[in-house]
Amino acid sequence: MKIGVAERHAGVFVVTLEGEVDMSTSPEVRKALLPLFHDKAAHVVVDLKGVPYIDSSGIATLVEGLQLSKRGGARFTLAGAGRTVEAVFDLAYLKSVFEMVPDVEGLFRGEGKA
Amino acid sequence: MMASLKQINGPVVLDVPTDPASLFLVRCVVKRLSERLAFPGEDGERMVLAVDEACTNIIRHAYGDGEEGRITLTFVVRPNALEIDVRDFGTPTDPGTFKPRDLADVRPGGLGIHFIRSVMDRVDYLAPPDGGTLLKLVKFRSPEEDTEK
Repeated sequence: MKIGVAERHAGVFVVTLEGEVDMSTSPEVRKALLPLFHDKAAHVVVDLKGVPYIDSSGIATLVEGLQLSKRGGARFTLAGAGRTVEAVFDLAYLKSVFEMVPDVEGLFRGEGKA
Repeated sequence: MMASLKQINGPVVLDVPTDPASLFLVRCVVKRLSERLAFPGEDGERMVLAVDEACTNIIRHAYGDGEEGRITLTFVVRPNALEIDVRDFGTPTDPGTFKPRDLADVRPGGLGIHFIRSVMDRVDYLAPPDGGTLLKLVKFRSPEEDTEK
């Protein structure tokens, strides 16, 4: 599992995940993701483009992120989920709970125009 | 009219340690078997998830902290179904306590059982006389062909 964290703009973080997210790798994701909310991030984007598979432990980590974002008034976005990953969110009835966008670049292009 | 699943003579057994690092191997076997048996792609992916969740639950709950255990998965190909027995040798758990969580309640955890029950056509927890838990999972290739239901 490869995890990259980049501050795209001040307070705007992109967490890029590459690899399968399961019980063996979700603790690493948790460790990279959750402190961002404690560091007063304004917007955290998780790029799932490189994630071919996610299970309930990965989903639970993202739900934790969502809860922390709400508590701290930050925005939390999931980008680039492929069909297989999206199907798991669907099965969990969580697709509408998260802000999900097709890709990171599109998200920031959209913001540039606004 | 669908052709019968391609038979494999005799059960296929996979025995792994209760180490999260072995989950990928379990997923590989379920994926390749479901493809070989011509399950629709989505069913195959969902079965991979269900079996992963069953093993994750065992690693989390069946064995004590630091206790090394085993999970034995037995795959049996039936004419129109794949049966997967997931056996552990840990502390037996009361299946009555396994409840899918209220999905309106957005919180981490509790999704595994929901996934297993949503995906598989049959989910039975049994208590073998020699201890542990036997989870019997069955996926029929299509609901119409589930004549035993």
